[in-house]
Amino acid sequence: MNEPALGGIAQRAQDRPEPILRPGNTNCGGCGMSIGWQFLSRAVAHEPIQIVIPACCGIVTAGPYPYSAYGAPILASTFASAAAMATGLSQAARLNGEATRVLCWAGDGGTYDIGMATLSAAAERNENILYICYDNEIYGNTGGQRSSATPLGAVTTTTPIGKEVGKKDIVGIMAAHGIAYAASLSLAHPDDAMRKFRHCLDLEGFRFLHILSPCPTGWKSEPADGVQLLRLAVSSGLYPVIEVFDGERTVINVEPSFSYEDLATYFAAQARFKRERYSLEAVAARIQRNWRRLRVQAAASAALAEPLPEPAGAPLAV
Amino acid sequence: MEIRIHGRGGQGGVTCAKILAAAYARMGKSVQAFGDYAAERSGAPIRAYTRVSDAPITNRNKVYHPDHLLVLDPALLGEASLAGLAEGGSLLINSPDPPERFAERFPGTRPASLDCTAIARRHGIGTRSVVIVNTTIAGAFARTQGIPLEVLEGAYEDLGLAGDLPAALEAYAAVRIAEPRPRAAVAGAVASPPPAPRTVAPAASTAPPPVLALTAHTEGPETGLKTGDWRSQLPRFVRNLAPCNAWCPAGIDVVGFVQALAREGPEAAAGILAEATPLASVCGRVCPGFCMLGCNRRDYDGAVNVRGLERWVADHAPIARAAEQPTAQPRRLAVVGSGPAGLSAAYALARQGHRTELFEGESVLGGVLRTGIPGYRLPDAALERDLQGILDLGVEAHTGAFLGQADLERLSQDFDAVILATGLQQARDLDIPGSELAGVEQGIAFLHRSNLEPGARLTGHVVVLGGGNTAMDCARSALRFGADRVTVAYRRGRSEMPAIREEIEEAMEEGVTFRFLQAPVAFVGEDRVTGLELAEVELGPPDDSGRRRPLVTERRSRIACDHVLLALGQSPDLALLPEDWKLQDGRAFRSGEALNVFASGDLSTGAGTVTHAIGDGRRVARQALIALGEALEPLTRPDRADAVPRERIRFDYFARRSPAQLRQAAPAERIGGFDEVSQGLPDASEAERCLSCGSCTYCDTCLIYCPEGIIHREPDGTYAIDAEYCKGCGICLSVCPRCGLEMVT
Amino acid sequence: MSTQLMTANHAAGLAATLAGRANRRGRGFGSGVYPITPQTECIEFLCKQDIEKGHVVRVESEHSAMAVCIGFSMAGLRAYTASSSNGLAYMTENVFAAGFYRLPIVMMAVNRTMGPPWNIWVDHGDTLMLRDAGWIQLYCEDNQDLMDLSLMCFRVAEDPRILVPAMLGQDAFVLSHTIMQIEVPDQAQVDRFLPPLDLPHRLTDQPRTVGGLDFPHEIEQHREHHAAAMNRVFEVYAEAQDAFEAVFGRRPADPVVPYRLDDAELALVSMGTTASTARAAVDEARRKGIRAGSLRVNLFRPFPERQLAAQLAGIERVAILDRDLSPGMGGILWGESRALAPRDALVQNYMLGLGGGDVRPEHLVAVIDDLAGLERAGAPIIQEVA
Repeated sequence: MNEPALGGIAQRAQDRPEPILRPGNTNCGGCGMSIGWQFLSRAVAHEPIQIVIPACCGIVTAGPYPYSAYGAPILASTFASAAAMATGLSQAARLNGEATRVLCWAGDGGTYDIGMATLSAAAERNENILYICYDNEIYGNTGGQRSSATPLGAVTTTTPIGKEVGKKDIVGIMAAHGIAYAASLSLAHPDDAMRKFRHCLDLEGFRFLHILSPCPTGWKSEPADGVQLLRLAVSSGLYPVIEVFDGERTVINVEPSFSYEDLATYFAAQARFKRERYSLEAVAARIQRNWRRLRVQAAASAALAEPLPEPAGAPLAV
Repeated sequence: MEIRIHGRGGQGGVTCAKILAAAYARMGKSVQAFGDYAAERSGAPIRAYTRVSDAPITNRNKVYHPDHLLVLDPALLGEASLAGLAEGGSLLINSPDPPERFAERFPGTRPASLDCTAIARRHGIGTRSVVIVNTTIAGAFARTQGIPLEVLEGAYEDLGLAGDLPAALEAYAAVRIAEPRPRAAVAGAVASPPPAPRTVAPAASTAPPPVLALTAHTEGPETGLKTGDWRSQLPRFVRNLAPCNAWCPAGIDVVGFVQALAREGPEAAAGILAEATPLASVCGRVCPGFCMLGCNRRDYDGAVNVRGLERWVADHAPIARAAEQPTAQPRRLAVVGSGPAGLSAAYALARQGHRTELFEGESVLGGVLRTGIPGYRLPDAALERDLQGILDLGVEAHTGAFLGQADLERLSQDFDAVILATGLQQARDLDIPGSELAGVEQGIAFLHRSNLEPGARLTGHVVVLGGGNTAMDCARSALRFGADRVTVAYRRGRSEMPAIREEIEEAMEEGVTFRFLQAPVAFVGEDRVTGLELAEVELGPPDDSGRRRPLVTERRSRIACDHVLLALGQSPDLALLPEDWKLQDGRAFRSGEALNVFASGDLSTGAGTVTHAIGDGRRVARQALIALGEALEPLTRPDRADAVPRERIRFDYFARRSPAQLRQAAPAERIGGFDEVSQGLPDASEAERCLSCGSCTYCDTCLIYCPEGIIHREPDGTYAIDAEYCKGCGICLSVCPRCGLEMVT
Repeated sequence: MSTQLMTANHAAGLAATLAGRANRRGRGFGSGVYPITPQTECIEFLCKQDIEKGHVVRVESEHSAMAVCIGFSMAGLRAYTASSSNGLAYMTENVFAAGFYRLPIVMMAVNRTMGPPWNIWVDHGDTLMLRDAGWIQLYCEDNQDLMDLSLMCFRVAEDPRILVPAMLGQDAFVLSHTIMQIEVPDQAQVDRFLPPLDLPHRLTDQPRTVGGLDFPHEIEQHREHHAAAMNRVFEVYAEAQDAFEAVFGRRPADPVVPYRLDDAELALVSMGTTASTARAAVDEARRKGIRAGSLRVNLFRPFPERQLAAQLAGIERVAILDRDLSPGMGGILWGESRALAPRDALVQNYMLGLGGGDVRPEHLVAVIDDLAGLERAGAPIIQEVA
């Protein structure tokens, strides 16, 4: 085999005997979230999990009562409450000495917007939760309205002339909570993605994973193109693939080529971006700024390892 | 009037209902339009409704007894979609099939049909996998109901859909309506019976299923929702044409043997090679490597060293006994000439059980492989190995059998068919002053001598004229025979040299000097050549061969030399044929009558490489058998344009890695004799660089990426796709590193 | 059992603590808490307790307080929280969620006026806003109720025949911050009264989606099941009263509590502490020769329709006293109960003590006088008490 990227992801001991998302779900064909579920299924092995999913495409896909397109226990929470309901489940598991790992699986609306306070509080409390945000940059379930994750220039049903501001730096926000692990993950980089899933499943405390998740319906792109679009988002520098440990040590996982051509292709392949509504130059400039900051953070991480001088003087008498 | 629309999520059924409503509203009617809103997504069946009335509409129900049905996807046609359609009701179907077919299928309805998908696709409405047909079919509907064009246009403007109007107008013009067929006397197939009144104890089949309290519910069964119904295309695993296979003139399954080597080892690879060629050992050394020119890896990090791998297989696997395909009716065939074309033809014939005799004028078999290619490139042992494989099949070889015209005449009578593969025996002369001088010799004669008469010597400065492989062979052989100095003079530039690149490089390493853009104009000397006059050449516009035409100038120079070897090209020697035979399209004719005599290899094609000759030998053997009445398909070469292009390879998956290099003796060491220069590849790991373009390697990429998780490994290791659930998104094909699938509609 | 002096808030917190500890034999106890005046003392008390196999999560909002309880309860733990007023409004979405998930969460709600403008005193409008959330609702009359009815709430809500959450209302400050003697049970008694919770539909490791989609047919059925569970509350509540009495030696309040109604011609119907005041007013009226009686509505959901109608049989004039107002309609208790009076009775709605006005017996005597003199019922009346 000469696919180094795929060395041994499939058919390993970490595979869950039953997929988390089963066939017969109602997600659109080519849904990035569905791919994310398939990846996750290959990371959790047979260990017990419970997943909280707020009101979003992720819960509609389960199908109507009493059926479940999920092969795992799922609590369908109210929109803003994923991290809080997961807190209850997670603390319950701890009180009862159960190894159950509690996950949240929420879209960008449930994470960046309505769920932000709840998420931030659970992170601040350092609840033992793995929170995964599948970010399709839109309110997909309601038919495609803008969220605070919608990128600059994207046309949605509520930004008919294109969004005039960019998206939040969600990984930065979460890392600033000082949580054990905050990372962004590219499904087009399966090795790195799988490593991150497995790494943070095994960690204690609050962990946050951000997954850019192609939405052919909302992005108005070919369903087949999703993974390729992700690759372009990464190579152009638009979507940094990084991880932040304990809120302080930043590691850049995939070096972009900052290809202007890739950036242009990324925008051109999605009809949500109207050529007359965005400026590639402006986007490229934002990418530059963002990456300068990331580089500083990554470089500073190295300095963190160096010991500080002993504090001068005697401790203050109290 | 009530209209019901059946479509799929994403096709825009609800918008279609709104367009119809808008049109009728413009006609002064009271209208209503709405859709079913449910959980299903892109591709799932949906319904939408339009209600039209002269009086204000108070009915808020869904439409159960439509006067008109629109079906946006013909796969949705069925009992459920047709339920309740009024007698004589109209039925508009998005389908390329003529409406008459639907009239037959659904008697009592008034069907119309149109391929709206094709129109919408042409107008770029929607995506590849989900074409949005709503605006198109609405145009067709307007026509079936006699809605005036200007009303339709107004409706599109009202809804902000003016951009889709051209598609609608095309549909308006193109839709066809069939006369209804009378309904058969038997029970109606279309209108569903009115719902049975609910009795106190309804039949189990009609009663809604009991719903458990939430508090009684501990496990959720699978939905069983057959999302396969949503799709418009289905992936399937296929073997797409690899460029190496498309490029190989010998017709070898290159990707097949390389992959077999990587996965199963040399024996399996040898078996695949033996399907096409008996000369793996030879080709693994002297093939120019056309496959490597086509290799998708070439511009990424260097072509896979297929030639080296072929040699590895030949050197490390026992002679492959190709699976024989015995014929029911063995025939007698003669093959004249035991060069690569003749050997290939004889092999192909013998494999099928035909009695094959091989005639060779020299005392040993091999033709140009023996007499033309020096031992340092192709040692006797390597050739013998391949020859043995051919003879093992029962080919009867006659050596020293130089056949004249009468002999050929006799053969054509004694044998069912004769294949002539005598190659290019006529060397091109140089008609300039001094060409008769001693020391001026044809290169192939020199090579013939050097290959068959050991111990020959050559001294002084040897000049070789030409730029092909023969020139390189002459130059390098001359060095090995003791020449003090060898110069190659060629009338074009280095990049125009037809010789194999590696041959040129190795010659240079060994000390051969090159003078490019030099054309000989005269040999100098009394009895014996002592020098050569060269003219400088400039390159003009391209000639028929695509190379730039050399234009000889008046600028001259002179070099002293002791020998000149001419390697200026060869041509077939047609004087061998009986005078009344004429070769035409590779077959001999006498007085316009086709003989069972066929020409193969360089004699026929003049293509000039061992590899071409092998392919042609096999092709002509097949042609001869067909001429004799065997029920076989002619062999054709695939079109390179059909091969998997570079753009379809996902290079992101493949780390850059340079091709493996051959192990070679140092130049100073190797010019001391005729030992083989190359010891081949150090191992077979180069095979792992093969991308396997177009052929699944079971790398699991599709399996990992399938959003539905419905690609599984079968017990035999192959993949299966669960079509019941496949939504047809095409991710599997798009992520495939090597284009090993295709989508079928 | 001991008698202690404490506020109703502390009584509620202590009841939750005892109930929580009692489930150490089960899957434990969990709570999500967020402060709001006048509930704070209750949760502060809870946060100071050491509860074996229990955990209190200090969340960032009422919405999350209920969400955390939902998480605990969904995992099969006994769950509790407390809130008030605008906090309940902010929590509302998850209050409904808890109801429709059929989780036996118990919540103490200090009844406080909804703002703005801001007012921290008693008004029943906050919990009445949640009457359709699928919860049992009880309204306390005194501090002891906070102890006894809290335990009753756990017992009834967690009964496998019920499995709906329960909300216990108490009047802001009038009860919440007022100290009185309370009979405090010991842990062993509570252990006897509250068996370990065994939630049949708790989330396990089985594949299942809780709270996903319901189509109309399923909603019809699930609402019907929910309603049926509510209807069983009366029977289960009565059984729990018996059990309570057996363990603790006193009987918690009935769903409706009559006072001097047997021979009454005129009745005051009320909830919460107004019922105590009404009893004083009734006594005063009787002294004046008016045959008055009082009826306290303790259980508001399920609505004790049958019991109310039975108690009001033969009454000629009924004053329904609301400490709430549904603008555009009138008092909510009135709206729900007016049809339960005898057909020929005169039923008049009075709203007293809105925004925490101090309802004194003389106000209610005046109501009785007014009622006695009415020729026919009029529009709802806001009776000022300030």
